Amino acid sequence: MLLTLLLTLLPIPALAQKTVWTLPEHNETVRALSIAAGKAFGRDTYLSASRYDGWAIGFEGDIWTGYDPERLFSFGRSFSSAYFSPMTNRLKGGSTLAAGYSGYKAFMWKALQTRRHDILIGPSVMFEADILYNRQNSNNPVNGAGYLAGGLSVDYTLRFSMFRYDMAMQATFYAPLAGLGFAPDYDQPYWYMYKYSEYGKALHFILPFNNPAFMQQVALVLPCMGNRFRIGYSFDYNGNKLGGHSRNIFNGMFTIGCAFRFQNKEWDL
Amino acid sequence: MKTVKFIGLTASVAFLLLLSTACSQNTEREDMEFSNTPAGNFLSLWTIMDERYCFFDLKKEQLGVDWNEVQERYAASISNEMSNRSLFEVLCNMIGELRDGHVNLTSPYDYGRNWSWKTDYPSNYSADLRKKYLGKDYVIAGDGYFYSILDDNIGYLVVESFGSSMSSSRINVMLNNMTLCNGLIIDIRDNGGGDLSAAEFLASHFTEKRLAVSYTCYKTGPGHNDFSKLYKNMLTPAKEDLRWIKPVVLLTNRGCFSSANDFAFTMKALENVTLMGDTTGGGGGFPMSSELPNGWVVRFSSAPTFDAEMNHVEFGVAPDIRLDMDEADVKAGKDTYIERARKFINDKLVNP
Repeated sequence: MLLTLLLTLLPIPALAQKTVWTLPEHNETVRALSIAAGKAFGRDTYLSASRYDGWAIGFEGDIWTGYDPERLFSFGRSFSSAYFSPMTNRLKGGSTLAAGYSGYKAFMWKALQTRRHDILIGPSVMFEADILYNRQNSNNPVNGAGYLAGGLSVDYTLRFSMFRYDMAMQATFYAPLAGLGFAPDYDQPYWYMYKYSEYGKALHFILPFNNPAFMQQVALVLPCMGNRFRIGYSFDYNGNKLGGHSRNIFNGMFTIGCAFRFQNKEWDL
Repeated sequence: MKTVKFIGLTASVAFLLLLSTACSQNTEREDMEFSNTPAGNFLSLWTIMDERYCFFDLKKEQLGVDWNEVQERYAASISNEMSNRSLFEVLCNMIGELRDGHVNLTSPYDYGRNWSWKTDYPSNYSADLRKKYLGKDYVIAGDGYFYSILDDNIGYLVVESFGSSMSSSRINVMLNNMTLCNGLIIDIRDNGGGDLSAAEFLASHFTEKRLAVSYTCYKTGPGHNDFSKLYKNMLTPAKEDLRWIKPVVLLTNRGCFSSANDFAFTMKALENVTLMGDTTGGGGGFPMSSELPNGWVVRFSSAPTFDAEMNHVEFGVAPDIRLDMDEADVKAGKDTYIERARKFINDKLVNP
């Protein structure tokens, strides 16, 4: 269904441009929407000592914004992705459903911009939440892991030509460095959190050593019938050892979608 | 250009640092995971219980269970050649040592349990007699909630299970229907529990005072004594609902477990309530579950509960009036418990 939706967007005319991919100029935005499919892995010792994996589907949304070039951080990037995965353990004896959302808002400094290369780097605010639902646990079937953190985001773009077509390769890496993470205080039941309003114990200060998380993306931007296609691969890892239990949830997904460029005429950033 | 190189180098170092941290997390994870062999599953079950079960000290004190000794004893029965069915039997026997109704092992073969807290005692309950007292025109007030009014104008409420909560409006209708009754008998015999909040909600209709009825805590680490602070559990009178302040007799037997056990000690704390019958079956630990590498599910008590006097309720709640079913009564088609409860309420009318 998502693919159909995407295909219906194709007739939207892409705006003229010099190459298939350039950074947005002042008051311009570039929006990209992709569907994703791949594999997800999860293990959360609050629910089970077993490791689960399964196919995953999801989507990714990306918005690049061009700010005033006089600013230090003259570009902004907002990224969102969500996935769903039904997982089983190795013996197919256990069943867990996983769903998650991750997103960040980054303010990017143009470290390098040449005819072929762009490097953007800057601080970002990141949010990630994963929910695991163990279908066999009767009393504690659900657990969540997540964080809100400040971190670092790096984007690299390489423009090149192949078969007389302009193309671009994009690589992104982001990682949270410090913030607040959520995880139950060891075996604290969610019922107790609610009943005694004891949420504070489930909030933990996070650093990379107790909440290692990162996301990497590589995407190829191709011209196609006047539009820009993005084909890529994303890897999202969220691990933590908060509250005495350990969690490792990650997914790797291939993505395919389109990017569109817009002029923000009445929106003065 | 130098700036760019510096930034690139910094970003690379940061990336490698994060990756190495993630990898070290993975190594730890691998160490914690058990193999899917009889020995691996055995060790997995023993470790899950060792790190997460909440009553080891109590079970050692009351039953003499030494969990390390249990491991040594049962490990001798484990071999990698044994069948899954044999493994299941050994594992069930091992966790059965704890004699806890909230400790179970679920597999395709069976639901492993030790119900000696109930089966080793007289049942003190007859479903046929209960039906007889309810009569044919009893009211179904909810899923597992039935009531009728006995000949001597005493209300008789049966709560078979706390699996679901009786709605506020239905409780109001029920109490309204019994407004003119002299007292109320609540029969929770063989109620195996269910939803804690359902038990609390019903109890909240029998008090006019807000009072502390229990304490609880939860495990904060893998040590046998790693517990959080105690949380006080307050019973608050039901808001905007009818509240019953006439005499109540609560009938209990060994089949009252988990939420029914909670209901018993909560009601026991109320002035107008008298517990009559046998000690309840217990089940004073909030249960949680986990899985073994082979997919079998283990349930265990995770958070202990204490009554208002800080006594453990894992082994049950003692009645105010101890009672056993009389064989002669049963043969005569009478339920000793209900008859004694009626007499108790009627006597109270004469001598309040």
